Amino acid sequence: MKPVNLTNQVEVEQLKKVSFIFNGKCLTGYKGQPIAAALFANGIRTIRYCEVTGEPRGIFCGIGHCFECRATVNGIPSKRTCLTLLEEGMIVSSDKKIGSGADFYES
Amino acid sequence: MKVDVVIIGAGPAGIVSSIELAKRGLKTVVIDEYFKPGGRLLGQLYEDPNLPKENRQWNGKVIASQLIDEAVALGVTFICQTTVWKIEESFIVYITDKDIKEIHAKSIILATGALEKALPVPGWTKVGVISVGAAQTFTNLHNVKVGERILFVGIDPLSISVAIEMKNSGIDVLGMVLPTPSTLSGFKSDPKTILESLALVSNLAPNKLFRFFGKFVKGKISSITLSILKYNLIKINGIPIFLRKAVTEINGVHEVESVTIRELSTKGEIMQGKVETLVVDTVCISGGLLPLVDSTQLVNCKLVDIPEIGGIVPLHNKYLKTTVNGVYVAGNITGIEGAKVAMAQGKLAALSLLNDLQLVEQAELLEAYDLVEEARKASPILFQPDIRKGRNIMQEKWEEYCASGSVVS
Ligand SMILES: Cc1cc2nc3c(=O)[nH]c(=O)nc-3n(C[C@H](O)[C@H](O)[C@H](O)COP(=O)(O)OP(=O)(O)OC[C@H]3O[C@@H](n4cnc5c(N)ncnc54)[C@H](O)[C@@H]3O)c2cc1C
Ligand code: FES
Repeated sequence: MKPVNLTNQVEVEQLKKVSFIFNGKCLTGYKGQPIAAALFANGIRTIRYCEVTGEPRGIFCGIGHCFECRATVNGIPSKRTCLTLLEEGMIVSSDKKIGSGADFYES
Repeated sequence: MKVDVVIIGAGPAGIVSSIELAKRGLKTVVIDEYFKPGGRLLGQLYEDPNLPKENRQWNGKVIASQLIDEAVALGVTFICQTTVWKIEESFIVYITDKDIKEIHAKSIILATGALEKALPVPGWTKVGVISVGAAQTFTNLHNVKVGERILFVGIDPLSISVAIEMKNSGIDVLGMVLPTPSTLSGFKSDPKTILESLALVSNLAPNKLFRFFGKFVKGKISSITLSILKYNLIKINGIPIFLRKAVTEINGVHEVESVTIRELSTKGEIMQGKVETLVVDTVCISGGLLPLVDSTQLVNCKLVDIPEIGGIVPLHNKYLKTTVNGVYVAGNITGIEGAKVAMAQGKLAALSLLNDLQLVEQAELLEAYDLVEEARKASPILFQPDIRKGRNIMQEKWEEYCASGSVVS
């Protein structure tokens, strides 16, 4: 997917730029936006892999109800990225399939 | 912490309640689990034909921030990212905040809003399938594009309004189709019901043809219209509305790549024959809204099921008093309606509470009651066609409850 394009560029540019790490990659976003929004803006929509099947998952409800957007944030697992706000230097990684290690689509 | 009133939910209903209470000197705190106050108002951005010509834009984010500023200036406290998890009698409210653990309050207003109904379609767990609320929130509140080529599944007042918002923000909205017919999709897969429900949003669309359909599709005419609609006549703001098509599968290996679409008969059955594949990267699902009533269980409010207002809601009288003394309700927890109604109900619940404490005159309460109906008339979107009937049923049920000798506890 093509990255960014903010519908209201002006409003977002008033926010402070920060860097963060997602699955080992250094990315930039804006302080105070939900992590999921920052990932979208970087063209990333797959946030975790289903614990059981290893299938990729992203946001669904966007407001904290469905728990589809969970990730490990600064070492704390299962944080909802649609609610957790981005801060400088955050380390975010996808929650993965439990057990064998390999993802559904790799095995 | 000791206050006069705890309000649960900082949506339009809760915020307006807090303003009215604080104006009369009551110490009020509003609790919300989201990271900022405003509720579903935050994502709303559209042209409202009922507003004055010079400025037709309904910008929920701006309205919310004005209301919050007003409340804060009056001394209202907002506690966000915090959930209420227990309420003890008359009343101790337990919350998940790091510092404040419990709040003692004399009265409570429940204003927790609505929830989106799930509408499962084969393939709906794939990355790139989002709910209509997520689409609205990410587009209008977070200002990020959720996709490049979007198809909407589920045709209703909310999804139409969000599709228009997304198109206005420069996203390619390919159209709107119905969900695969199933026991779960129910009327959402019936072209005739959906066509008739389009009348509910006809105020929102400037398009003349659409307004025509909005006004005249009832009964016989809608059957005729439907057979013509095979050739998809309806477009709303340039977005094609396919009332005779349904998505039967969402495809893609890692993320959404395409959808499989099949034709529906006028009765909503899948027709044999032509199968289409449409290349999309995002699918937006709309299953409708449900009042979010979990918090009523913490105080043991009596619940009733009234489909005309959107499902199971706390039993309340016309002044928004519940079956538990000192507990009031406002906004979408009482039934699904638009933001203007939620705001008017916020005021009504506050005045009802104040009237019980003998802090305002009956006349003010009656005036607030009339404002709710005015707000309903001024709403560009009607979520529940039989809302007025539903509100009357509620009042009848309340009277039955009182007559049955159940004292309001
Ligand atoms: C996805 C979606 C889109 C909508 N779009 C429109 C639209 O475009 N136009 C329109 O007129 N109406 C729309 N509506 C209807 C909308 O519900 C009303 O406009 C209005 O926002 C209702 O106001 P409210 O105050 O009752 O609830 P809300 O605005 O929903 O606010 C409720 C608040 O309560 C909080 N809350 C819930 N439970 C708890 C709890 N246990 N503890 C703490 N906090 C809690 C929530 O976080 C939320 O902030 C939409 C509704 C939804 C769900
Ligand atoms: S997307 Fe549903 S909880 Fe985050």
